[in-house]
Amino acid sequence: MTETKLTARNVDVYYGPKKAIDNVSIDIDNGIVTAFIGPSGCGKSTFLRSLNRMNDTIADARVTGEILLDGEDIYAASMDPVALRARVGMVFQKPNPFPKSIYENVAYGPRIHGLAASKADMDAIVESALTKAGLWEEVKDRLSDAGTALSGGQQQRLCIARAIAVSPEVILMDEPCSALDPIATAKIEELIDELKENYAIVIVTHSMQQAARVSQRTAFFHLGNLVEYGETSEIFTNPREVKTKDYITGRYG
Amino acid sequence: MTNPHWQSDAAAKRISRRNAAERRFKLLGLGAIVLSLSFLALLLFIMLKNGLGGLDWSFLSGTDSTDPDTAGVWGATKGSLLTMFVTLLLSFPMGVLAAIYLEEFAPKNRWIDLVEVSINNLAAVPSIIFGLLGLAVFINTLDMPRSSPLVGGLTLALMTMPVIVISGRNAIKAVPPSIRDAALAVGASKVQTVFHHVLPLALPGILTGTIIGMARALGETAPLLMIGMRAFVVTPPGGVTDPSSVLPMQIFLWSDEIDTGFVQNTSAAIIVLLVFLLAMNGLAIYLRNKFEVRW
Repeated sequence: MTETKLTARNVDVYYGPKKAIDNVSIDIDNGIVTAFIGPSGCGKSTFLRSLNRMNDTIADARVTGEILLDGEDIYAASMDPVALRARVGMVFQKPNPFPKSIYENVAYGPRIHGLAASKADMDAIVESALTKAGLWEEVKDRLSDAGTALSGGQQQRLCIARAIAVSPEVILMDEPCSALDPIATAKIEELIDELKENYAIVIVTHSMQQAARVSQRTAFFHLGNLVEYGETSEIFTNPREVKTKDYITGRYG
Repeated sequence: MTNPHWQSDAAAKRISRRNAAERRFKLLGLGAIVLSLSFLALLLFIMLKNGLGGLDWSFLSGTDSTDPDTAGVWGATKGSLLTMFVTLLLSFPMGVLAAIYLEEFAPKNRWIDLVEVSINNLAAVPSIIFGLLGLAVFINTLDMPRSSPLVGGLTLALMTMPVIVISGRNAIKAVPPSIRDAALAVGASKVQTVFHHVLPLALPGILTGTIIGMARALGETAPLLMIGMRAFVVTPPGGVTDPSSVLPMQIFLWSDEIDTGFVQNTSAAIIVLLVFLLAMNGLAIYLRNKFEVRW
């Protein structure tokens, strides 16, 4: 019933001469949450950033192999990284709202992509994105307040609304809760669970409990390799690899 | 249980020695400030004492003359304003564009390193050298009018640009990378990211650097000597190509004629120049506070 959204085939990522990701192949499906777990420095964030070509901004980063979005090679010359990033949105570790109003934060993406024909259109897009991000009720009376004045958890939901506003197909989340308290974390996790109906979601996390709570599939990375990938329930109860078992039982990492 | 160590005489002595050293240091620091500020106060006092009497409307609206009683500062002031106008028009866009390119777009290679070193060196080149350059290039080669605010402004723009580039780069560098990530991740292009997000956040720093560079250019005399702005000019310049003087040059010229009663004029002109500089620095502080974004 699920369909493959993103496919990676034999992907290597280099920073200069250093190989950060070694021969990773993975299928990421629509309509579910895929978690990347692994110890610090295992390359999970690097791999995530290669899925929407955010690595392009790092001068000596290089990606080889194939990454396909709906069968289309995202590193092909015909693929515009700007258009790609509108289709594959991203939420970062530290909430990073623009130092502008809440409204502007959400409206910026739709505006540069010409998604709204009128002010009323834009208002509708902003309301819908903030509603999906579970923030509308909290901010509807103060849309002109600065986005940076919100609490940490609200800022992160604002960043999610900003990503949703351009109607992406995939949302990449790079440890979205690591700067948040447990209550804000619970809200974001609830939100991720709701959003997965409409998007392919990939989340990098340091917390194995979080991976177990929110994801349907889990990929375990270690030293740039994809060690194991499968149903989350399988990975956490019955891992095939010794390394995975050691990691999830807290032997290291 | 108290530790008997802290009750001993030796310990008390050590602590009082430490406190004395602390007091000595504070006094020393305060002394350094008082000494430098008192020189400034002395300068201001002498200038105000000598010059305030001559600072009236006829002085502010008059032009240079051989008679100290009718000589005024308007010609030189207008020359300064026109020169600054040319300088700003050229050095601000050039400096900001160069800073943006170097910080955001330039590839990291040996050529760009060379450009960086050159710009940093350019900011340290003695101003008289820029004067020679202006004389050689703008007047002798390009045949622009001697003694004009146009040539003066172009010459000072060469001097000011590296200052703007350096302060602009620092301001751009201070914008958190997470803002660039945020813009790129919603599908903004590199140019959109820079002009919609990075530049507005860097603007207070860029403006501050620009104004400080302009203030330096306003007080500059040496390069303008080389391009002939020390001429005796009686009519205020009508445009950027008319012969003209500038404020610091007027001060320099009058200070040469102290024996013929120009003491008051020199001091009054210094007051006018200082008011300009204070106003520019005040503007810099105001702009920085107004546009600064708090996180």
